[in-house]
Amino acid sequence: MREMTCIVCPNSCTLKVEEQREEIVVTGNKCKRGREFAAAELKHPMRTVCSTVRTVFPEAPVVPVRVSAEIPKNRIFDVMREINQTVLTVRAAGGDVVIRDVLGLGVDVIATSSMLQSFAELKGEK
Amino acid sequence: MTDYDVLVIGGGPGGLAAAVSAKKEGAGVLLIEREARLGGILKQCIHDGFGLLRFGEKLTGPEYVERFEEEFHKLSISYEVQTFVTSVRKTEKGFYVYAVNAKGVREYRTKAMVLATGCRERTAKQVFIHGTRPAGVFTAGTAQHFVNLMGQMPARRCVILGSGDIGLIMARRLTLEGAKVLGVYEVKPVPSGLTRNLVQCLEDYDIPLFLSHTVTRVFGTGRLTGVEIAGVDERMRPIPGTERYVECDTLILSVGLIPENEMAESLGVPLDIRTKGPICDNRFMTEADGVFTCGNATHVNDLVDYVSESGEIAGRAAASYKKRTGQESEKGRVMMDADASLQYLVPQKLNLGSDLGKVILYFRSSRVLTEGTLTVAVDGQKIFARKYQNLKPPEMERLEIDFTGQCLTKESRVLVSIAEGGGI
Amino acid sequence: MKRAKLERRLKKNLRTRFGPVVNASVEGRIIRVFGRLSNWEDIVEACSMCVMRIPGFHVVNDIELEGTDLPPMRKPEFTDDALEGRKPDVLVIGGGISGCSIARELTRWKLDVLLVEKESDLALQASGRNDGEVHPGVDLNKGTLKQKYVVKGNRMFDRVCRELDVPFRRCGQYVGFTEKSALPVVRLYVWHRRHICKISDTRILSGRELKKREPGLNPRFRFAIYNPSAGCVCPYGLTIAYGENAAANGAQISLDTAVLGMEVQDGGIRAVKTNRGTVRPKLVINAAGVFAEEVAAMAGDRFYSIHPRRGTNSILDKKAGSLVKSIASIRTLTKNTAHTKGGGILHTVHHNLLVGPDAVETFEKENFATEQISVDRVFEKQVKTAGGLSKQDIITYFTGVRAAAFEEDFIIEKGRKTRNLIHCAGIQSPGLTTAPAVAVDVAKMAVQMLGASGKIEKNERFSPVRKGIPRVKDLPTDERDRLIRKNPDYGRIVCRCEEISKGEIIEALKSPIAIPTVDGVKKRVRPGMGRCQGGFCMPLVAQIISEYTGIPVEDVCKSGPDSKISFGKTKEVLL
Repeated sequence: MREMTCIVCPNSCTLKVEEQREEIVVTGNKCKRGREFAAAELKHPMRTVCSTVRTVFPEAPVVPVRVSAEIPKNRIFDVMREINQTVLTVRAAGGDVVIRDVLGLGVDVIATSSMLQSFAELKGEK
Repeated sequence: MTDYDVLVIGGGPGGLAAAVSAKKEGAGVLLIEREARLGGILKQCIHDGFGLLRFGEKLTGPEYVERFEEEFHKLSISYEVQTFVTSVRKTEKGFYVYAVNAKGVREYRTKAMVLATGCRERTAKQVFIHGTRPAGVFTAGTAQHFVNLMGQMPARRCVILGSGDIGLIMARRLTLEGAKVLGVYEVKPVPSGLTRNLVQCLEDYDIPLFLSHTVTRVFGTGRLTGVEIAGVDERMRPIPGTERYVECDTLILSVGLIPENEMAESLGVPLDIRTKGPICDNRFMTEADGVFTCGNATHVNDLVDYVSESGEIAGRAAASYKKRTGQESEKGRVMMDADASLQYLVPQKLNLGSDLGKVILYFRSSRVLTEGTLTVAVDGQKIFARKYQNLKPPEMERLEIDFTGQCLTKESRVLVSIAEGGGI
Repeated sequence: MKRAKLERRLKKNLRTRFGPVVNASVEGRIIRVFGRLSNWEDIVEACSMCVMRIPGFHVVNDIELEGTDLPPMRKPEFTDDALEGRKPDVLVIGGGISGCSIARELTRWKLDVLLVEKESDLALQASGRNDGEVHPGVDLNKGTLKQKYVVKGNRMFDRVCRELDVPFRRCGQYVGFTEKSALPVVRLYVWHRRHICKISDTRILSGRELKKREPGLNPRFRFAIYNPSAGCVCPYGLTIAYGENAAANGAQISLDTAVLGMEVQDGGIRAVKTNRGTVRPKLVINAAGVFAEEVAAMAGDRFYSIHPRRGTNSILDKKAGSLVKSIASIRTLTKNTAHTKGGGILHTVHHNLLVGPDAVETFEKENFATEQISVDRVFEKQVKTAGGLSKQDIITYFTGVRAAAFEEDFIIEKGRKTRNLIHCAGIQSPGLTTAPAVAVDVAKMAVQMLGASGKIEKNERFSPVRKGIPRVKDLPTDERDRLIRKNPDYGRIVCRCEEISKGEIIEALKSPIAIPTVDGVKKRVRPGMGRCQGGFCMPLVAQIISEYTGIPVEDVCKSGPDSKISFGKTKEVLL
């Protein structure tokens, strides 16, 4: 039996996970997402990566990004390397794809803020 | 001078929600923000986990707050950015608010105000760290500003004091950017942050957590060269002889947040020593008529979802606030006494106006309880009870109670307490 | 013979107290104490024992501190030749309140004045690390230089601060007594101070009157000594203002410049070696604070010693400011062993409260690290002055080191063995109060010495007036509005705790002695001085410095050259 903390929501349930042959038995979870988390955590733990990418715009040297869906935990630093090599040259909006299908993982790196556009508006006002 | 029904100070999640809800009630609203952009601290909180309760999604800070901004702009609410309120004066004709921005000194008049001024971080000196004054000592929020907004790296080898959520988040963030986080030290015997952050920010990256330890001293004349760590006793005092030196170039502090209420105090609003925010009623009106509070200015919330919720309640109430001294205040307000089993309770008072029905309470337990029961008693009569599992001081609880049908008067004694165990 | 008798007596006293390891000799007017001791407090005691209250006699400490290497003076790590070949009329060593005020007074004459300071800003040592009290001088005895100059200096403050555009509050000082029985003794004391020491306005206030004026003070105070002439000023603000006015009148201020040695020939300084070149001044003024003794030694004129004494002050949130509106302390008749009164509570010109300082002997001249025990001790005492005092209100604390001579008086005189030298040494409390008066006298002395080889003319273009940076938040509304319309940066608030605008920060970067660091800006216009201690504004200030000066953000420093705030841009570490 393994004990783990569910990180899906702030409840942070303490999960007790038992592998019985093919099946995984989870207790301690308040909702069904806990079971899904535990199953994934045992076989192939997944995580979100949030970071920033550089831009060419001096008023916002970096813009926040994240992966559009979770990626394997052991690929976090590989994805970070890709993120670090990217420079944003267009005024992307929140949700816009910054890196498509990063490292072939089937997820995109997307911008999480429209700050570049609001800066453009601020400039326009002047 | 322009007249408004509701003037909101602060353009973070609380203020945005307040402005939006007040506007929806048909009030003339102005929001004043001191920074160049709306969004408050969420602009720099680029990690995810926001909005699970409200949107059922794990959003990042900017994503969460920009949803509110979008609605705010859709409603064409007036606002001023990079505008700083210098003073507020209360008169018979309402509040006169004075502010400065690049255009000059501004003056506004409003019937009601919502103070959504957020909170600030405790500093190294406030937790009595001694030694020299080198560069490289930052609060977690300041370090976060450097990394996430300016794209600057404030740390290479780093010690973090305090296991508050921002400290844990910054441990992960700096690690992702290539810094070495040597450890997180917590003076209390239990971690301050959410358990999931201990897992996904520390365990995932093999960053050690040292409980019952603190930083007592910093070294270095130019840049920080190291810190002194000591174990602490049960009263959180350093134990002589346990000191050890840790070489590092950065010390990051996540040692607590303090609601910002200097403006409220200037209006004579009394504060609760437990929350460090204004004493308020279930509509988030403070003890000063027409002055409302919300979000982290009221008390430090764990989740932004609750900040938005309190903003909405405050904004709605501020919109319906009419400067008529009769009616509501005749019925008055009744204090809810939270005993020592609660770290605090918000709101502290109930407004006995006509619509006292469902009331949202926010509270923290004083102790860690695997099983606990919160009860509300009126004049010794238990009117409500709820069982909880795993009550912890770092984790705030939200509760809705329906007071419909309860004959409360100004003289009623309302007592809120938590008893150990699940027996009701 | 008198000298031999004195020497015998000192030797005997030392032997009785410390055994044969310490000895003394009297040569000229120098009492040299020598030997070895393993404890610094013992060294201080031995030297203090040998102090003779004879004018002109000084103790020189030559006792070796066993087992401890005295830390060397902190100095800039670079060298250049910026000053090579300079032949100023006067070289002032030290950019504290003494050096800066002397430099300014010297510019009233047609003189080439060069001031060197080893730190990267003015007022980085004792002058920037004290409580800013403008003393009434009531606690000093007649006959000392301290007393002579404190009375003169105090009276000059209104004019000097007006000229230099430095905030100054003559807020008065209350020394409270809880024992009614002390009244007769205190009456005598006050009479003596009024009529003999010429502190003509000092008087006794009843407990009731005190309560009316300062209701936050100990309700058990039965009466108090009231000194209406006491005041407060921002000590580094005044030092910088003096420095800027000196510079505006033609003096050269060279920072990051340490004096490393001197070439002395036939009783005269020929050359002064610094890390920025060798200077050949006609006259040297030693205002080097804790290092005055080292400078005197370089000049071949060491006849006094400095024993550094640390003091720690706490700064309280403005919210606590209403507790005490002036300067207040408690006094009992039991004798205090410490050299200061154990501090007091002072309401600063910026409306914070300052609590302290304490007094601790130390051999470390530049150890400014704070200790919790200092804060605790001062609070323990000062809660008796004002019960509402709370450590919860502390926003920061700092330590300074006083440059005390063993005689506990100033040394302001021409060199004894070296002819082109003036000492302005042993300047400790009330050195800030005395500075304006001392500066006038030292400048006079200098002009007289230089005048021996040709008449020194008045500088007709000297202007005593310095225009400070406008404190926008204190301006009347219409003026503030006008200023913002002229320069919108005055409407952009950067530091919310202290309400400091971007315009003020840029003015600080344009000022005559501009220091483009976070602390340099902070000392001049105060962003980061408030309750959040720069948590919110420090990144913004760094950015403004970068924008204005063109220094990349990652190269902006907190204070000195090794204090960069950032290690560089993110994204470049993992690559």
